[in-house]
Amino acid sequence: MKYYLQLGVILMVFCVIATGILAYVNSVTEPKIETLKAEEAVKSREELIPGCDFEEVKLRDDFSYFIATDRETKELKGYTFTSQKKGYGSTIKTMAGLDPEFRVIGIKIIDQSETPGLGANCTKESFTSQFAGKTPEQLVVDKDGGPIKSLSGATITSRAIASSLKEEIEAIKADLDKKQEQEVAE
Amino acid sequence: MRFFSEITKGLIKENPMFVLVLGTCPTLAVSTSVINALGMGAAVTFVLICSNIIISLIKNIVPSSIRIPIYIVVIAAFVSVVDMTMAAFLPDLHKALGIFIPLIVVNCIILGRAEAFASKNNVLYSLADGIGMGLGATLALTIVATIREILGSGTWLGIRVMPNSYEPMLVAILAPGAFFTLGFLMALMNRLKEKRA
Repeated sequence: MKYYLQLGVILMVFCVIATGILAYVNSVTEPKIETLKAEEAVKSREELIPGCDFEEVKLRDDFSYFIATDRETKELKGYTFTSQKKGYGSTIKTMAGLDPEFRVIGIKIIDQSETPGLGANCTKESFTSQFAGKTPEQLVVDKDGGPIKSLSGATITSRAIASSLKEEIEAIKADLDKKQEQEVAE
Repeated sequence: MRFFSEITKGLIKENPMFVLVLGTCPTLAVSTSVINALGMGAAVTFVLICSNIIISLIKNIVPSSIRIPIYIVVIAAFVSVVDMTMAAFLPDLHKALGIFIPLIVVNCIILGRAEAFASKNNVLYSLADGIGMGLGATLALTIVATIREILGSGTWLGIRVMPNSYEPMLVAILAPGAFFTLGFLMALMNRLKEKRA
């Protein structure tokens, strides 16, 4: 009996030490990782629609989009948002810029851990560049009869990216339409 | 002199991939291109050296009946620390190697060497074993990836090596290609060993 108790206690000591170290490292690195991510988000937003101010609109708890207006003329330049959807082995986060007519200006894969060599190729320029100029209706992969050429061996990844963009664009559109109606009613 | 023989044994005689057949599952997944193989190899080597050192240092205070859970806790904690530190201070390196780090936790090379070697030998030899096994795994990964990348994408390290008319054999970079390649290479290794014996 005493022997088993001893084993349990030793194992517990190791776990407590390991957890303590992890908690400490996490408390040191987490704020740094967060700032790096936020910086990168600002940078990629600026890359998609340059020279604009961004106003955040919260749509759901986990999703908000940004309305881009020109810094000088205050003219509406478009929208940006980050969609996320489960791909093959990870959640893929995609940032996209839209023009005022909801056509895609460009997309950028921000975060993914898809299979290296297959799904992970979604970050490549040759894949992302084909999204430019597409309307939300055209955001369908070739396997489903759309114009988006899917990555070889990674249809699920490609489909997740295209459909997540499509869904979120439609959600943004619906939200803006609703707001316009309210304005007219007032 | 034993220090050097502990390093060189990992390259061919006890190659972790072809002879010991350790850690093949994450390995098969990432050997689709040479650059991935090198990235995974570097990450495995680093973690292997460090975990071997830690395990060999604590080997005397760990009761043998619960050694495996303790090794797993130590290795998993260590890998998470590496992952978080890299993400915070070396974001560019983390972007290149980040996807391989979680794969290492489940890589049996690390646990296998902790159990078979580091728990029985001193720190110096464990360090040598870590270096040797890490390099051996990198070598094996690179060979598998070379074959798969050339057949499956017509490139090597991203540089085109096959004529433009070559139609890439997609199966080579999909999962079955990994099993075929590793199977043939292991058969070849066994054949060479038999001849020598």
